[in-house]
Amino acid sequence: MDEKKKIILKLENICQSYVVKDGVKDAVDNVSLEIYNNEFLVILGPGYCGKTVLMNMIAGLEKPVGGKIYLDGEEIHGSDSRIGMVFQSLNLMPWRTVMANVEFGLEIAGVSKEERRKTAQKYIDLVGLTGFENSYPHELSGGMKQRVGIARAYTNNPEILLMDEPFGQLDAQTRYAMEDEVLRIWEQEKRTIIFVTNNIEEAVYLADRIVVLSKCPAKVKAIYDLKDLPRPRNMTDPEFLKVRSEISDNTDLAL
Amino acid sequence: MTKNKQQILSAAEIREKRLQMLYKILPIISVLLLIGLWLLASSGDSDFPSPSEVWERTRALFLKPIKKRTLIGHVSVSLRRIGLALLFDWTAGIAFGVLLGWCPRARAFFGPLFNAFRAVPPLAWIPLITLWFGIGEFPKILIVIFGSLACIVVNVEAGMSSVEKMYLDVGTVFNATPRQRLMKIAFPSALDAIFAGVRTSTSAAWMVVLAAEMLGADAGVGFLISRGMDSLDMPLVLTGMIAIGLVGALLAIITQFAERMICPWTRRKKSF
Repeated sequence: MDEKKKIILKLENICQSYVVKDGVKDAVDNVSLEIYNNEFLVILGPGYCGKTVLMNMIAGLEKPVGGKIYLDGEEIHGSDSRIGMVFQSLNLMPWRTVMANVEFGLEIAGVSKEERRKTAQKYIDLVGLTGFENSYPHELSGGMKQRVGIARAYTNNPEILLMDEPFGQLDAQTRYAMEDEVLRIWEQEKRTIIFVTNNIEEAVYLADRIVVLSKCPAKVKAIYDLKDLPRPRNMTDPEFLKVRSEISDNTDLAL
Repeated sequence: MTKNKQQILSAAEIREKRLQMLYKILPIISVLLLIGLWLLASSGDSDFPSPSEVWERTRALFLKPIKKRTLIGHVSVSLRRIGLALLFDWTAGIAFGVLLGWCPRARAFFGPLFNAFRAVPPLAWIPLITLWFGIGEFPKILIVIFGSLACIVVNVEAGMSSVEKMYLDVGTVFNATPRQRLMKIAFPSALDAIFAGVRTSTSAAWMVVLAAEMLGADAGVGFLISRGMDSLDMPLVLTGMIAIGLVGALLAIITQFAERMICPWTRRKKSF
């Protein structure tokens, strides 16, 4: 139990704002969070509430105007190889094949060709894309592209995986299938996952804990612990629906 | 119950086949029409040479060289000139375009000068170049470079300055060094723009070399045309023009083929 409760990532009073046409706009307002090792944390919030901004700051894509981020007890500034990311807009490089996209992070890290082939193949197999190694992204469906994105993030063996609304652009059927895939992969290759979504059902289906953010500027509104909700979860289960409506009553709507 | 294959084609397949057929026939029709019009224009007592006269002239050019060169010889002189110019364009030009597109400071420094330079037509350089370098191969190649360099630089610059942020974000998350961001993300993502530059610089070089040769050379396809003009040999002029057209088309096909080989991802699949 001790091991489970080890804090891997800590956000302390994170603030972010931008200069816009008519003044300064706050996007994230004083967010503090503790994320435990190997947990599946879902950040739930309405559209345009600053969820992506929060993810970008953890990933090192932008600097917060205030607050600190600690990884394994040490403060980090900017990107860190122990944090991986699955992007909302996929960001697969169209000039690289599936294999080359998955290998990208290892290539950047200077891993030998043979080694990275092997690792990349392992994760291509894990996400179920065996046989598509030499396809280009434009030849793949939306769900398959997202699998490539997941494999690419896993290949660098990060301790924390950020997933920023990865299934937002998929159709409902594919989305359900991908949610199951993410859970399966998470069970098989335990990592800490921080998953951002605006979909309550998806949040309740996936999460160990749900952090509900308010509408813009994002503040932590509530935290729900769903550790006791047994897996695999069923979206029509009375208990599932009860949790769902409880959270639903406490969420802000996007305008 | 074996049916003839022809019979089991669906309506959609038949429509597709007809369309494909039409696309194959249309270019042939246009060429035939051109030859028909040509025959018409050269009939009667006009001075315009007929296709058969041009054909004869072309054949004669293979048997009886002008200035010790057959048609092939003159084409290869022109090709050699643009080849050397393009070699410079595709190395120094691409490097300069990358610098302008990737480094805002370099763009601010060189941008205005470069824009002024590319506004000057290459033929306007002829007096100065002749003054500095006289006549010979080098000044001609220099004019071709001046006429085609901007095409590649502008395209490479556009490609390098519009690299999608989302690809660079991937590099940031994986802690890529600035050099890796340039070589592994920005440059490959600009490759299709770079190839657009390769294509336009090739056709620009081909046009400029002919213009330069017409003004003063003793070999090359442009020389053939000015020679034809001076000696009132219209069939020779047309032979030169046809050679220019054919070689230009061939160059376009070759660069397109090279692009498909080097950037297979730009070959988008058919969308429905």
